[in-house]
Amino acid sequence: MDFAPLELSADTHAFWDEVRAFYSEHLTEEMLEKEHREGNGFIPSLQLAMGARGWVFPGFPVEEGGAGLDPLRASLVEYEMHRRVGPLLPLFGPIHLVAATVRVFGSDELKAHVLPGVARGEVLMAFGYTEPDAGSDAAAVKTRAVRDGSEWVITGQKMFTTGAQLCQYSMVTARTDPDAPKHRGLTMFLVPLDAEGVEVRGIETLGGERTNFVFYDGVRISDMYRLGDVGAGWQVASSSFAVEHHMPNGTGGLEPIVPRLNEFGWYGVLGALVDAAVEWAHAPRSDGSRPIDEPRVRDRLAEAALDRELMSVTPGPYVRVSTSAALIRDAADLLDMVGPTGVLPRGEEGAPVGGTLEWIHRFAQGTSIYGGTTDIQRNLIAEQLLGLPRHRGVLDRRS
Amino acid sequence: MADAELRNNDFSLSDDQETLRATFASFFERESPIDRVRSAEPLGFDEKLWQQLVSTGVPTMGLPPDRGGDGAGLVELALVAEQAGYRLAPVPLVPVVTAARLLARCGNATTEWLAAIAAGTRRVALAVHPARAGEAQLVPGGAVADGIVGFVENHLVLATRSEPASGPRNIGSEPLTWWDPGDPHESLLEVASGAPARASFDDACREWRLLSAATLVGMAQAALDLAVQYAKDRVAFGVPIGTFQAIAHPLVDVAGAVQGARHLAWKAAWLADHEPEQAPAEMEMAYLHSCRAAQQATAVGIHTQGGFGFTLESDMQLYFRRAKSAALLAGDPRARLAAIADHLYGPAQPELTGQR
Ligand SMILES: Cc1cc2nc3c(=O)[nH]c(=O)nc-3n(C[C@H](O)[C@H](O)[C@H](O)COP(=O)(O)OP(=O)(O)OC[C@H]3O[C@@H](n4cnc5c(N)ncnc54)[C@H](O)[C@@H]3O)c2cc1C
Repeated sequence: MDFAPLELSADTHAFWDEVRAFYSEHLTEEMLEKEHREGNGFIPSLQLAMGARGWVFPGFPVEEGGAGLDPLRASLVEYEMHRRVGPLLPLFGPIHLVAATVRVFGSDELKAHVLPGVARGEVLMAFGYTEPDAGSDAAAVKTRAVRDGSEWVITGQKMFTTGAQLCQYSMVTARTDPDAPKHRGLTMFLVPLDAEGVEVRGIETLGGERTNFVFYDGVRISDMYRLGDVGAGWQVASSSFAVEHHMPNGTGGLEPIVPRLNEFGWYGVLGALVDAAVEWAHAPRSDGSRPIDEPRVRDRLAEAALDRELMSVTPGPYVRVSTSAALIRDAADLLDMVGPTGVLPRGEEGAPVGGTLEWIHRFAQGTSIYGGTTDIQRNLIAEQLLGLPRHRGVLDRRS
Repeated sequence: MADAELRNNDFSLSDDQETLRATFASFFERESPIDRVRSAEPLGFDEKLWQQLVSTGVPTMGLPPDRGGDGAGLVELALVAEQAGYRLAPVPLVPVVTAARLLARCGNATTEWLAAIAAGTRRVALAVHPARAGEAQLVPGGAVADGIVGFVENHLVLATRSEPASGPRNIGSEPLTWWDPGDPHESLLEVASGAPARASFDDACREWRLLSAATLVGMAQAALDLAVQYAKDRVAFGVPIGTFQAIAHPLVDVAGAVQGARHLAWKAAWLADHEPEQAPAEMEMAYLHSCRAAQQATAVGIHTQGGFGFTLESDMQLYFRRAKSAALLAGDPRARLAAIADHLYGPAQPELTGQR
């Protein structure tokens, strides 16, 4: 057991300063403002600047496009970013997952073709699992891939391919054997989104993040873009979730902070929420009084601070479920605390703390849905950690 | 955003800690089976079990070596308390440990008492609210204590009563007693006074809450384990009820709450041992969350067992009742929110608010 402050060497301190200076230069207020308006999930210029330093995969060896940083420094790169962006740029973490999947399941040819560009920050990748009729039941995909010589022809429709408007690739599950049982007839492809027949159409969300429909109309791709064996798409998809717990970013002493942030930054969102509420509470009103001196305000801030601390110590699989619930609960409650001006969004005159609480209140609702809903995660925990007999939905996924 | 301080977040137990945990897990499993717990009701005390515990040295292991202890910290005490809670051991472990540690911090006047506690010939309990003559309070463990340590109008006293204590019936079958410092006493020994006395008393109460938090974690874990087992065994509509999400999902939420509670308690204990000035907010959080987690675990546990869970035959009720008493005796758990806010944001400045 050890909770002592990290002892950083002078070198590491200097590196940390370098990281801060980097973000001050490459992650400006204007960029964040634009991101607030557009919700792209990536800032291409930032990605390029990070790539130039090997910081897209900071812990990777230099030969693989990384920066060869020790786990602590690698974590600081991500930690500092998340401190600045809060819930913005949710796609920074997931790109590691796609890359990790390519590393494990892609052919050498595909890896050489794709990964260096990802490391340089030039190439962005998305997840294309979900379809209009295949969400939680992710194996129910209807998108077809039909072999034609050394190529595949992909036809179908994906939904919620977040980031597709900026990405060069989407990792797509497609049905290659319609006669096989539903989990056995799938194959995974890394589909280039500039291929002919791909159409990306935006979907706006309550939280302000942009996501997309992606239509594939007879899209021809080389067999090089296949990930894993034909018919093994479900295993590849499942592994990509398993890899999530072995992110290339090192852990080191920052373990509590950084891996959490990999989970779409939810833990960081809770922190941003509490910080905004505390800031609001300390600002004097026109009569000089401060909310922080009122019991109802103090109780609520303490509740939220407790949740924040609790989530920072809650282990592994549970934290996503409980953080999402805490976010939804605390965001609503802290917005109530603010009163009438809480209705004002960012950019509106008089919006408290730049509308942060109002925004996170909306944003929070999505955290129980994407990346597999919290209900699906509860099914998995019940079965795998509590040892309860399988629920039907889980049973289906394995059949 | 202020510069956050980066800390380690290492919850692994050392070999010694793991041995301690395992030793007391089997000690309480062996010595505090559920029928012994039941037969200790309603007082909630088993003298023989206490003497066995004394022979392990646990009641005084948290005293400094020069006061007859092993210098064990709150982390170690919390590990043992959790195991006691898991088996609902009918012994006043938390009251004695916290009161003895308080006495040990207050000079040499009570050396004889500490020796007697270590020998198992006397017990002390902590009155967890500031006391005043004419105001009786319920003292946890007091019904089986020879002395009560309390903070009475600016003085820390060790009170021994002329009448043998008797305990009121109570939801948790705890050995409680009413105590009023104005009642006749055999002796009222002042062990400290003024600001240092108050500070030591506040520390001791926080320790009481922290170790109670650890105890509550054990209770919550046991309630969860009972419920999960029941959900696997009990069949309805031809399938184990654990296949129903209405049963499974609340248990998952309980499991998350319990693991979080355990880690909060460990971290709070570690901070109290190593960086006491950083510890108070974490200790209050640990107590409040443990109260809630144990309440949730035992209520979900009853519901999971259906009608059986509501009968006195089910062991779940033993956990449910004790989870509530451990949460109530220090006062409304929600009152901890104010303390958390004080520690995190400084005291309120009502003069500013008064201008409104
Ligand atoms: C903002 C956003 C971004 C997203 N980004 C991506 C992305 O980049 N790539 C991608 O592939 N997908 C993405 N998704 C899709 C997301 O993963 C799905 O929305 C999610 O898995 C749920 O699927 P669904 O929407 O079809 O809901 P459904 O599966 O229809 O679920 C509806 C409700 O039923 C519940 N439910 C369903 N099955 C069960 C069960 N077995 N047990 C208990 N409850 C159940 C669900 O929990 C939910 O509450 C994104 C979604 C959003 C909102």
